[in-house]
Amino acid sequence: MVKDDAYYASRRQFLQTLAATGAIAAADLAWWQDPFLGPRRARAAASTVRFQFSVPEPLRISLVESLVERFNKSQSDVEVKVEFVPQAQARQKLITAVSAGSPPDCCQIWDNWVGEFDGMNALEDLTARIKDWKHYKDTVPVAWQTVTVKGKLLSFPWVVTNDAIFVRTDRAKEYGLKIPGPDWTWDDFLTLAKGYTKPDKNQYGFGMRGAGTWAVLYATEFLYSNGAQVLKDGKVVINSPESVRAFEWYIDLIRKHKITPPSVATDGYRQIVEGFGRGVTSMYLHNSGSVEEQKKFVGEPNFATLPLPLGPAKKRASFYFSETLTMFKAAKNKEGAWKFMTWLMDDEPNYDYAKTLGLLPTRQALADRPHYKHPGYQGFVKSFPFSIVSPYLAYAGWGGKLDSEGVPLVQQAMLGKISPKECLDKLAEVLTRNMA
Amino acid sequence: MSNQNATIAVPAPRALLSHATRETLSNYAYLLPAAICLGGTVLFPILKAIHMSLYYNVLIKPQEYRFIGLGNYVRMVQDPTFWLTLRNSFTWVFWSVSLQFFFGFLVALILNGQFKGRAIYRTINLLPWIIPGVVVALIWEYIYQPNYGPLNDLLRRAGLMREPVAWLSNLNLVMPAVVFTNIWRGIPFFTIMILAGLQAIPDEIYEAATVDGAGVIQRFWSVTLPMLRPIIVVATATRIIWTFNYADLIFVMTSGGPANATQITSTYTLMQAYSDLDWGYAATLSVILLVIMLVFTALYLKLTKGVESVAG
Repeated sequence: MVKDDAYYASRRQFLQTLAATGAIAAADLAWWQDPFLGPRRARAAASTVRFQFSVPEPLRISLVESLVERFNKSQSDVEVKVEFVPQAQARQKLITAVSAGSPPDCCQIWDNWVGEFDGMNALEDLTARIKDWKHYKDTVPVAWQTVTVKGKLLSFPWVVTNDAIFVRTDRAKEYGLKIPGPDWTWDDFLTLAKGYTKPDKNQYGFGMRGAGTWAVLYATEFLYSNGAQVLKDGKVVINSPESVRAFEWYIDLIRKHKITPPSVATDGYRQIVEGFGRGVTSMYLHNSGSVEEQKKFVGEPNFATLPLPLGPAKKRASFYFSETLTMFKAAKNKEGAWKFMTWLMDDEPNYDYAKTLGLLPTRQALADRPHYKHPGYQGFVKSFPFSIVSPYLAYAGWGGKLDSEGVPLVQQAMLGKISPKECLDKLAEVLTRNMA
Repeated sequence: MSNQNATIAVPAPRALLSHATRETLSNYAYLLPAAICLGGTVLFPILKAIHMSLYYNVLIKPQEYRFIGLGNYVRMVQDPTFWLTLRNSFTWVFWSVSLQFFFGFLVALILNGQFKGRAIYRTINLLPWIIPGVVVALIWEYIYQPNYGPLNDLLRRAGLMREPVAWLSNLNLVMPAVVFTNIWRGIPFFTIMILAGLQAIPDEIYEAATVDGAGVIQRFWSVTLPMLRPIIVVATATRIIWTFNYADLIFVMTSGGPANATQITSTYTLMQAYSDLDWGYAATLSVILLVIMLVFTALYLKLTKGVESVAG
């Protein structure tokens, strides 16, 4: 026993050993990091650009991969590495990356996120760089508006889109219906929708959106046709009398006239696009992003697009949105990111991206190309004069709330659980509460 | 006579720890890896969630991050949507688990019998459980699609429907529709658990009961059910906890809609975290979910007398 105990160290020896081990470990780590990690980090910072891209459809993956490959082949000192993120998680992933201090160098984001990221003080102010950029003046002014926050240009508006109504021209002919001109009215819209509606054939006049943020935005566009607004003199006025009247008319399309499919309250982007493509609906409101898809679904000559109809106030509005290219303040390779972003905005990469996805280029020289003369794009082109930046971009806090509180309210009105007025009153409360 | 060669004993250095303490510590040391893993993956997230729930933590407003004590809990009590989601959660759990159990039991009894191709049926029975939840949700979303989904098409062809029914858009039908999907998915779980239990019951007990004059129903009530009690208790408790926290199915099929008709507390928590980016409030909802489940489990085990075997 005595012999065994002789091997045990005293408290002092134990503590000394512990301290010595700690010191050796610390020195060892410092030595290990310096020669191996240091240069590797420095080299990566000099040559690699991390680009995050959110993917709403598979087509974009191959498109972006080919663009990145073209860029990388054209450069000797910069290499872009693209990180694909499903669209549903893109915003949240970026926000957590910014919170953790490790965002990508640049990324593609939707303009309604720009305000949020600026609120987090995460975006690089690109004003000076962009004003010196060679195509600055060729870019349509409203596109710059979509990426301007508090007077600062925070992104490139890569491609833009506004909203218009898709109409089945072949079916109108079949049913003896007349397709109105671009200055049509709510009455013309209702007459046409009723003419298209044949429930026994599972055919409905209008594919209205009931799910996702756009359920609120599309409804709001109709409210604007009656002279309504979301904000006036810094106050939320979405529940004004003209707004309520317009929303009653909009909800009547479902509840009284029954010109929408019964699934309207949960129909999202995919359902309204496919509903039209499969012949269930004959009209729907969407951006130009589904033009190319409909050319394949219903055939190139069988549809056209019209601007939103004029309301009783003889007004209308189409909300402008842009897909943007943004650089983060914490980017490790700002020069490389700028080089890549400006390359994507150049003639051929920009035109290829916009054309493949059915979106509109922000540069006038590209928008004037013959591709955009197709009837499928005419509704969007003719909507430019009254296109405005979405009023919901005014406050960063509105972004998520439209989804979590606005959409359920609109769905309740669609299903007759609350009146249109109650819906707008509650929506006004939500917006007022989150004006920050 | 004195011993001139006697050596003087040198006291051994005092050990740092006593033998008993060393033994105890070494025993605990064996548990350390498991304790670290559990602490890191179970305890730390729980403590972190409690910590987060005491802060105003909206990711898009980092400058407003601050300690607010029980502010999020007060907000939750005053939030009508939270109470609606809690009610929806109970409906969702009650109907899902009770019917999964009922049909799972039925299928287990059938599969416990002797018939040709039993192995194939047992394998097929597992399919809904094997398919990932998100895929199940997408499949059933398509089946329920009112305009081109197979369910409406079949009903129309059978002459049972004239106008399409929007299963996932109708306030009265949407919850039964998602519950039905969950029942379909969960039946194999109960089948497999109960089947294992049935096969563990010795035939002698049934033989003895038969000799004593017990009929089929008496044997079921007096032998089968009591013998299966530990398995039933564990399986139902596990399934209730899973279903209460199970968000994938509803999230994909309806996103909690329409008009929050299928919004359960777990999907509402997801919505708060990933749509509103309000992590403080989402953490509060998670903590309450945890408390509800802890209370439920304690009560359930007490009421069902735990998992002790009938013999015990």
